[in-house]
Formats: sequence, C-alpha cells, structure tokens
Amino acid sequence: MVVSDRFDSRVFSEVPDDGNALVIRIVGNFDFNMHREFQRAYRNVAPPPKQFIVDLSATDHLDSAALGMLLLLRDYCVEVSREGFQPDVELVNANAHVSHILSVSNFDRIFSIR
Amino acid sequence: MPSFRVLIIERDTREAAELRAQLEDWEYTSSSVAASPAETCTVDDAGLALAIYQDYQPSLVIFGPCASKTAEKVQLRQLRQYSGIEPVPILFVLDQKEASGSPNIDGCDDILVRPYSPPLVQLKLASIRRFCEFGRSLMAQRDRMRRHHADFLQEQANAREIFGNLGNESCLDDTPAIRYHLSPRAVLNGDVLAATHAPDGKLVLMLGDFAGHGLAAAVGAVPLTSIFYSMIPRGFSFTRVLKEINRKLHDILPRQMFCCLAMLELDPRRNHLRLLNAGMPSPCVKSSDGKLRLLESRHLPFGVLAADQIDSAVVNLRVYPGDRLFLWSDGIHEARNKCGEHFGESRLLELVQDGDHSGESAFERILIAVNAHASQQHDDLSLVEMDLAHGSLLRPRCEEMENNGNRKGGRVGEWSINLRLADSELRSGDPLPHLLGVLAQMPGAARFQEELAISLGELFRNALEHGVLGLDSSLKCTDEGFVHYYDLMAERRSGLSHGWIEISLRCRDRGRGGELQLEVEDSGPGFPHVSEQKGVYSGRGLSLLKTICRELETRPGSSRVRAVIEWGSGVAPGQAGEAPGEKTVQTRPRSV
Repeated sequence: MVVSDRFDSRVFSEVPDDGNALVIRIVGNFDFNMHREFQRAYRNVAPPPKQFIVDLSATDHLDSAALGMLLLLRDYCVEVSREGFQPDVELVNANAHVSHILSVSNFDRIFSIR
Repeated sequence: MPSFRVLIIERDTREAAELRAQLEDWEYTSSSVAASPAETCTVDDAGLALAIYQDYQPSLVIFGPCASKTAEKVQLRQLRQYSGIEPVPILFVLDQKEASGSPNIDGCDDILVRPYSPPLVQLKLASIRRFCEFGRSLMAQRDRMRRHHADFLQEQANAREIFGNLGNESCLDDTPAIRYHLSPRAVLNGDVLAATHAPDGKLVLMLGDFAGHGLAAAVGAVPLTSIFYSMIPRGFSFTRVLKEINRKLHDILPRQMFCCLAMLELDPRRNHLRLLNAGMPSPCVKSSDGKLRLLESRHLPFGVLAADQIDSAVVNLRVYPGDRLFLWSDGIHEARNKCGEHFGESRLLELVQDGDHSGESAFERILIAVNAHASQQHDDLSLVEMDLAHGSLLRPRCEEMENNGNRKGGRVGEWSINLRLADSELRSGDPLPHLLGVLAQMPGAARFQEELAISLGELFRNALEHGVLGLDSSLKCTDEGFVHYYDLMAERRSGLSHGWIEISLRCRDRGRGGELQLEVEDSGPGFPHVSEQKGVYSGRGLSLLKTICRELETRPGSSRVRAVIEWGSGVAPGQAGEAPGEKTVQTRPRSV
C-alpha cells in the first residue's frame, strides 16, 4: 500500500461548544505524512473528550497507513478509559471514494461510520 | 577537530612572511579556545598552487599583494574546480588605495587590506573558518548518509534474498493454469504471493498486502508464509490456517500495521472454490460467457483484531469450465497518472471484460494499460490470473511421486489405529492433519499418502456434514443452495453440542503390496434406505472415492462406511515393480 509523496494536506482539530467531543478534520490526502499531526491532534486534549469525531468531508484519499492511524486512535481510547468509561471514535462525512476504502477494509465493523 | 590549512600564494618572501605572521598571531589567540592552529603553506605562484592543491587540500587560499596583481582568471577558475563542491574561499591582499574600485578583484571572494589591521584580519579569518567548518560538517554528513544508504540497500538486498527464498516452496510455476506478475516499488515487496498444494490435491493460493512498503511491510511476510507453507501441506483446513495467520499477525504486528489478504482454496476434483477476502480489492471471476463476478471483502484485514469471523466470511463458489479468476493488489487500482487520477476498478474490469485481443491476453493488456497510466510507480503491484478449470490442476503429482520413488520402497507394516472424536473436537477441531501427520510416520506411508488424504477427507466430511450435522447434499443442486449449504454448515458446526465420529484404520502388509482399510462411523441416523436422486455435484464425493478405493461399502440404516485402499500388486505378482504413479487399484463398489 502506498505512502503518498504529497505534502499539501493538513489536520485541524476543534472542540465544539458543548465540549464533549473533539472533531479532527483531515484535509487532502490522509496518509503516512499526517501521522505526527494526527497523533498530536488527539493526544493533546486533557482530559480526553467523550468522543472523537474524525471529519473526512475534505479528505480526498485515505491509505493503509491512515487506517493504521485510526487503529492507533482506537487503542488510545482504551488507554485513556477510566471508571468504566471509554471514548468512542466516529468517522463522518466520507466521500464515495473514501467510504469505499473503509468498506473494503470492513472498518465499519470496528468504527461507527456515518 | 580538523586543521585549518591556508595556502599562501606570494613570490615576495617579505610579504609572505608578513602574511604568515598575521596568521600566526591569529593562531595564538584562537588556540586558547581549543581551536587547532592554522597550518600554512607558501608557494610562489598560482601554477605551483594548482600543482600541490590536491595533496594539500587547503581550507583557504590567499593571494599575496604581488600574486593578486598577476592572478589570471583561468587559474582562479581552475582553483575553484579543484575545490569541488566544498567551498574554499579565495582572498586577495590589496593595498588600501587599490581596495576601492580595483579592476582586479573579479574572481576572488573577499579582500585583505594592507597595511594589515590585525583585529580585522582575525575577524575575517575567524568567520571564514567557521564557514569552512560548517561546509565541512555538511560534507561529512552527506558522506555518512551516502554510506548509510549504501549499507541500507545492501541490507535490503540481503533481505530480499531471504524473502525470495521464502517463496521457494511455492507451486506457482508448476502449472500453466496460474499466471502472475509482481512488481515491488522498493527493493522489497510488501505484497506476498504464495501457493501450495494440500495433501489431498487442493490448490491453495494467497495474495497478501501489508500496510506500507519496503522493509517494514516485507518482514510481515515471514510469519505469513511460514504458517502457510507449514500448515497447508500438512492438511490443516483452510479456515484453520486463516485463523492461525490472523492470530499470529495480531500478536506480532505493531498496532497500526495489518495485512490485507485474499486466500483461496481450489478443489479441482469437486470443482469447488472457497475464498476469503480480508480487505483486498475484490477479486473477479470471469465465466466463459463473459459474466463477471466480484468477490468483495467480507472481513477486516488480518492482524487488526484477535477475534475473527472467518467462518462466516468465506465464500463458496462452484467452478465451471472456462472460469477464470483475477486477483490484484490495490497498487493496480491506485496507480496514479500525473494529475493524480487513479487507474480505478472500472477501467480494470473493462479490460477483463474485453478479454483477449489481437494476440494479447487480458493479463498482458492490464499490465500494459497500468504502466501506460501511471507516471511513476507509487506502490507494489501484483496481478494473478488463474484458469480455475485447467486440466493441469487435476493431474496427480505423478512426477513428484516418481522422484520420491525410492522412499516408497520400505516395508508397509501391520498396524491399526482407532480414533474417536467428541462434539467439542468436531466443533472447532481439525483432526485430519494430526491423523495424517501420525500416519505419515508409519512405514511405507508414502505409497498411499494422497489416496489416504483424499479418502479420509471425504469420509470424514461425509460423516460430519451429513451424519453429525444432518445437512442435505441436495441443497447443493442450485448455486444459491450451494452457498447456503456452507453457511449452514458453519452455523451448525459452531453450535454443535452432541455427536461423535469414530475413525479406525488397519494396515496390512501383503509382501509386494498391501491394503489399508478405513472405517468411519458417526452418531447420525445412517444412510437412507432408498438411494435418492442426487444432484450432479453432490454425488461427486462418492464417485471420487470409487475411483480411489478398491472397495467402498455402505449399509442402509448404518452410518458405518468401509473403504479399502490397495497398492503394490494385489492384482498380479509380476507387476509389483511398475511405475508408482500408476494406479493399480480397482473399483468395486458394493452400494452407494
């Protein structure tokens, strides 16, 4: 699977007004080059939010390394869970191409996708 | 710390001495901060400077007051060429009045003004020295990186040899039914293609794609292929091997790494294809009437979760004459042109649909089209085409048997084995490999290994599917039923709470030949009294047994089946030494 050589992609993160979720928006190609930025986006929130929302509306392509990063985020949720509470991960607004990649990988079994 | 070497070009000895004195003064002050003293070398003219340049390797060149007046452009250019990529500044010494607007400073980097002002000279020398050291450390880093890169490539080449040898056991090149093309992007391939035969003659092939490429992706190939090549030839079932691969990859791979995998098992005798697709782009079956069927991924990639749903994700397909299967890695789908546009599945399927054209097969045309589309290779590319009903897949491995001929010469021996499997074993266990493993140790076992694996497999499956699980073969008459049958089997098997299968084997040596008697009995209601009308497909198990076994005996109302395999010369004593690949057994079934 491919590691892209384009660098024009970015990660943006924000906490909406209710403060319960962290929205991580990935613009451009979601690939290996984003791994530091992506990891920083979800690790730098203390205390961890109730939910991580990965907004893929501006994501053009997603590769296996990105799937790997989502798995790391999933692991992170287990790591930070306490008192029976564990944050969940939701993948939202994927375009047709990105949805196809997620469904080929059957990631809908381990992430909620909407 | 590397020494700082100054090459002075000056014919006038008094001027040269004065310049050296400036440098020595500087050396004195700067050596207090642990800098090694500057080394100087004085030559009369630029010609001599060029002559010793390569040996001396100066860090700075100074043209003295006389030399700078006569410096020639050609020589300056040559000096610069000699210094190569490393910057070696050239200084001219000029008189105060010459310094402004002198026509002769063209070609030098800076000037020293005479009479010398020691603080200014020292400032200049210090900054040049820092500059040189910076350049030198960059060069050293560049050289170190070059060495590391060369070492890295060497290591990868060594690793590639190891990974190349992992594929030595494959049977990909043994049959014209399989065509394949693997094109790694880096030295090492993150795509893995492997194929081998199960002991009962089934062909098992897998194409895997590890996340990433290069070394990180390729190391995963070691456990993957070692499990594959050790378990399949021992007769472990398709799903058992897949479970083991998922478990192992989950245990050893880092969390963000996983392996997309498509694995198929083709039983050429029963025209049955089983396939599991875990995250690979859909393989495509093209039937002889041109219809395409895509087998989409029904499982998470391997190594993601410890638990698997392999039993429910395996698809079963009936193979018809002319069926061809195309397998590919996403490097083909995601080959990008200059605009970043992917090659895409639709273009690929068009080519498959189009088939062979003007002497070029679909296989070749796909490769040509992908290469023409992609501006450069971004990922490992793999393409496999299989002729699923090719005659060569059916042929028993005669050559291999003949090659191993001398191994089969040993005594057969007299022995018997009884094995009873309870419901817990039948639910998840896979008893055949263990049994075959034990039998392989028996004297003379090589004589009947394939026949034994086939008949034991058939009888065991018969007992399990019809006897214990109560499945009806007639379900398999239709294509939907065929799939339903296997889904039902997985479901009933996992929920099994009672039932047993008993297997007994007795081997008898008869001098130049011998016979092996297999008896399999199960907890089911036994064979029906009236032979039912069966579909073309479902009868295949028994007719296969009839071609292998000398005797096959079933009794209505009883679940016991008795089969006898014979080898050597049960027939005529004179034929005992004939080619071992040839079957001398007869078919004499008593009832069906």
